[in-house]
Amino acid sequence: MPSNATRKQRALVIGLIVVGIVFTAFFGMRVLHAFRKFNGHRPPPPGKVETDVELIRDWMTVPFVSRMYHVPDEVIFEALEISPKNNRDKSLTDLNQEYYPDADGFVVDLVKTTILAHQPPPTPDSVPSAVPPLTAPPAP
Amino acid sequence: MSEFLLTQVINFGTPLVGLILFLGALGFPIGASVVVIAAGAFSQQGILNWPGTAVIGLIGAVIGDMLSFGMGYFAKDWAQRRFGKSLAWRNARASFQQRAGLAIFLTRWLITAIAIPTNLIAGGSGYKFSRFMAYDIAGEIMWIGLYGGLGYLFGSQWELVSEFISNFGGLILGLVIFGFGIWQAWNWQKQNKAKSYKNHSEGVEGL
Repeated sequence: MPSNATRKQRALVIGLIVVGIVFTAFFGMRVLHAFRKFNGHRPPPPGKVETDVELIRDWMTVPFVSRMYHVPDEVIFEALEISPKNNRDKSLTDLNQEYYPDADGFVVDLVKTTILAHQPPPTPDSVPSAVPPLTAPPAP
Repeated sequence: MSEFLLTQVINFGTPLVGLILFLGALGFPIGASVVVIAAGAFSQQGILNWPGTAVIGLIGAVIGDMLSFGMGYFAKDWAQRRFGKSLAWRNARASFQQRAGLAIFLTRWLITAIAIPTNLIAGGSGYKFSRFMAYDIAGEIMWIGLYGGLGYLFGSQWELVSEFISNFGGLILGLVIFGFGIWQAWNWQKQNKAKSYKNHSEGVEGL
């Protein structure tokens, strides 16, 4: 008959193996999911101005967004109808709660719209080809 | 918590990064790895100065590790009184001493979830402080260099890196727990076999 210590040891070993399997399965799935999301992305070239407004998060401040997208912060504050004074250090969530408490997510949405409207025009990645693109022939 | 800290890192910069890494090394669950990746990205965006942030962050993390090692060191007598007679405790101490360097180095940057217990065990098991510091500094440089470097490389897309790394750390932890369980089971089987062989031979001799 197994002693008390042996029973304890057996329970500990089984517990470790079970916890290990649960952790491995759980985080393995999450790693796979994160890898799929990650896989399509490459590091942006150095000095590239960000253009994807979906990267704006509610913890960001207006000066941070301004720097990230190369849009002056006065433009963003003006669009939000908020004075920059005492508001430069506040996150977009805090600004939303303070100035637009009834409109959830309003500040982030408005900042995105403002950035899109004021972004510098995109520079072409390649020289346009002299050959016109192929088009379907006109119907007879 | 993490989002609040990110806003404050933007506002207060490098000193706050150092403070967060110090608190993280003491065991406060404040997402220090996320802050390291974000700090790399903020450096690329010109918000933080990367060499200064890396050095201050490293100092914060190492001081935190020293303190948690110290906590283990001062709890040594208590642990010895409480568990000193236990064979499992003595085995665990001996086994830790054999692989302590690797454990300290890897728990700084790969299996960060068990960095605090490792510091406490290192301090409590009488591991040499100078050796602890050498492995600790090497591991922390790896952590800040690798995580911060990836944040720097990916810039505004750093959240993708953060999501991947935090889950990868969990996966490695799971594999380590599983491997440790298997190793324990194997040791246990070996001990049982040796015990039954000894009993058997004693029985034969008794006849």
